[in-house]
Amino acid sequence: MPGTTSVPEIELIIEDIGGGGGGKPPAGGDDGDDGGDDEKRRRKESHSPRRYSTVIAIALVSILMFFMALASAFIVLRRGSDVWVTVHLPPILLANTLILLASSFTLEAARRRLSLADPSGFRKLWLLTTGLGILFVAGQLIAWRQLVAQGVYIASNQASSFFYIFTGAHAVHLLGGIGSLLYVSFRKFDQKGISLSTASEITSYYWHFMDGLWVFLLALLYLGK
Amino acid sequence: MTTNDNSANHPEAPPVGFLARTLFSTDHKAIGLNYLWLALFSVFLGLAMSLLMRIHLVWPGIRLPFLSGSTLERYAALTTFHGSLMVFLVLTAAPQAGFGNHFLPLQIGAREMAFPKLNRLSFWATAASLVGLTMAFLVAPQTGITLWIASVTLFCAASLCNGINFSVTTIDLRARGMTLPRLPLTVWAWFINAILSTLIFSTLLAASVCLLSDRLLSTHFFPPLNFLAGQPANFVATFLPVLWQRLFWFFAQAEVYIAMLPCFGLVTHLISTFSRKPVWIERLAVLALCGVGVFGFCVWGQHMFVSGMNPFLPLVFSLLASSLGLPAAILLISWLGTLWNARIQLNTSMLFAIGFISLFMAGGISGIFLARHDLAAAAASDEFITGHFHLVMGVAATFAILGALFFWFPKLFGRRLNESLGKLHFWLTFAGVYLVFMPMHWLGLLTRANLYSGSRIAAISAIVAPVRVFITVAAILLVIAQGIFLVNFLWSLFRGEKVEERNPWRATTLEWSVSSPPPADDFGATDPVVYRGAYEFSVPGVAEDFVPQHLAPEQVVKAR
Repeated sequence: MPGTTSVPEIELIIEDIGGGGGGKPPAGGDDGDDGGDDEKRRRKESHSPRRYSTVIAIALVSILMFFMALASAFIVLRRGSDVWVTVHLPPILLANTLILLASSFTLEAARRRLSLADPSGFRKLWLLTTGLGILFVAGQLIAWRQLVAQGVYIASNQASSFFYIFTGAHAVHLLGGIGSLLYVSFRKFDQKGISLSTASEITSYYWHFMDGLWVFLLALLYLGK
Repeated sequence: MTTNDNSANHPEAPPVGFLARTLFSTDHKAIGLNYLWLALFSVFLGLAMSLLMRIHLVWPGIRLPFLSGSTLERYAALTTFHGSLMVFLVLTAAPQAGFGNHFLPLQIGAREMAFPKLNRLSFWATAASLVGLTMAFLVAPQTGITLWIASVTLFCAASLCNGINFSVTTIDLRARGMTLPRLPLTVWAWFINAILSTLIFSTLLAASVCLLSDRLLSTHFFPPLNFLAGQPANFVATFLPVLWQRLFWFFAQAEVYIAMLPCFGLVTHLISTFSRKPVWIERLAVLALCGVGVFGFCVWGQHMFVSGMNPFLPLVFSLLASSLGLPAAILLISWLGTLWNARIQLNTSMLFAIGFISLFMAGGISGIFLARHDLAAAAASDEFITGHFHLVMGVAATFAILGALFFWFPKLFGRRLNESLGKLHFWLTFAGVYLVFMPMHWLGLLTRANLYSGSRIAAISAIVAPVRVFITVAAILLVIAQGIFLVNFLWSLFRGEKVEERNPWRATTLEWSVSSPPPADDFGATDPVVYRGAYEFSVPGVAEDFVPQHLAPEQVVKAR
């Protein structure tokens, strides 16, 4: 059953947060003793959560670099250009932003439900988060259509190019987040591989990051007018 | 012992079919080999392209394949093809993705990469980008350029995934006892390079996405007008492909370190093993590797954020020289200190490692010329810089790759490469690269000097033409000498002397504790445990002159 969490899983995650990750190699080998079978088993199981949370951290840094490169291109071209045509940002973007911010809160609420061992509450809030995410992407599409209706295309001028590439690249990344939300909702979590708590945890990192990134990009677009 | 059934991605039984064992395998060893095959194919293709260029330069009358029709355009395409093959598929892919994939998990005692399926996907993307780059060379120029950028974008994405995979593997999958100070320097270099890759390739990815959208969606990220406005009129007429220039700047800063870092690690490892001595000032050498990574990234950052999108040559060059000189010098001192007073085993692998040092020093000295911005302005874009970067980046890295290949061939295939052919190949190549690239430095200075003097133009051009012919003839001979390697490689693959023992070089790291070639699950039923550092050679009071990392203290045989 998706949404059910066994107690050992929660214990595992608590241990992980506590920094007792077993993947860390034990210091030194002067003690010949091998730690016993039990410890070995535990160590191997905890490989998975550790590698998933490590990969999300590194991936986020590289995604950040990707957007920083775009942002620096924006700033440099904005300052260097004599003929900067501003794009009037559609008001719906503000509504979208509120939706995305709200989704971060529902996601956290869902995770709190999970830690209180309330699978059905978790599932409801999690699906609500997914819905809000889809709503945000739909809102972005509406914003694009509004701009197109005004005759502002991606090739119109530098500002419009940047608007479309910022929103487009962010939406692509956010779709990855929605995919991950859906994965957590519908995958059967058994003992093998990633656990529900880990999956929801790393999804939440990614989601909050996308949230903050969007606020940054929006601020950049507004200030760059 | 219980069987290893708790890693989710580990294959239960070894797959049987040829394709399942190679192209579709998620095993890190198979993927590493795939990258090496790709690099082997690319390096010979790239060599052939360079010969075409050299021959066309000196004897333009000869009709050559790929150079018919609009020769100027074809020549530019040829240069691009040669460069992208060598830089991406050989220098970037072979030392990091090739050897790294195969040996990083083995050396840290992991049985797999952290994300084997992602790893396979990266390989497919790399192979697809090779196909794309080749197609780009063959189709019409405008389509070709777009295809080229798309292939590079794909390559960036693949390298990015690779970098992430390598970093996570090193952080989380190390064996029991494999603490950071005990990591072999190869692993350090791969790890630092992986982190650098994730940072830099994502930036490159952003740049290529913008460039691609400029070409496909007519956006205006790289407007030619801003850049051209500041240039003299004749420059504009002769130098139109500004988009290339920009992308090249994005790449050039980062790629050098991406190609060189793993080679530093490989060379340090080889020198220590064949000197039978620990790496001298090992901690400092690790710090220097970190320094190369950090400075390499900072130079990039400087280029990107301070000077913005406008290449500000003097600043970048000066910073490059001043900041990278220190870690490079530390590494050099560490190598020489390890070699000092050692019982050096001069086999082919070690010869290539020492050849690397020679090339690195020669290239580094010409780098000092280029770091002076007044000299750099005079020397840039002509033969001086061609000679410089081929020596320090292209050939030096190739030497490291060849050294590593001779070292690991017994582990990869269970057979040895022929030593006599290997040594012959080394000496011919070593002489050849100096004969090809040293005169280029001289030519570069000479042809520039005539701009300032003016009176001796005729005299100088009388010297220049024969030197160019000399370089071309030397290049042809150099490429022919690579045939020796190819013969050696193919012959040894099937007929080479079999290696029965696990550890023919008497090396210390974990990959030598398993049979050759390594079994499908790498370490068998029990996980390896690491008890000591990676370079315990000639330890006093021990019978053998090396102590493997996996040997428990009570198993070490004491000297009588």
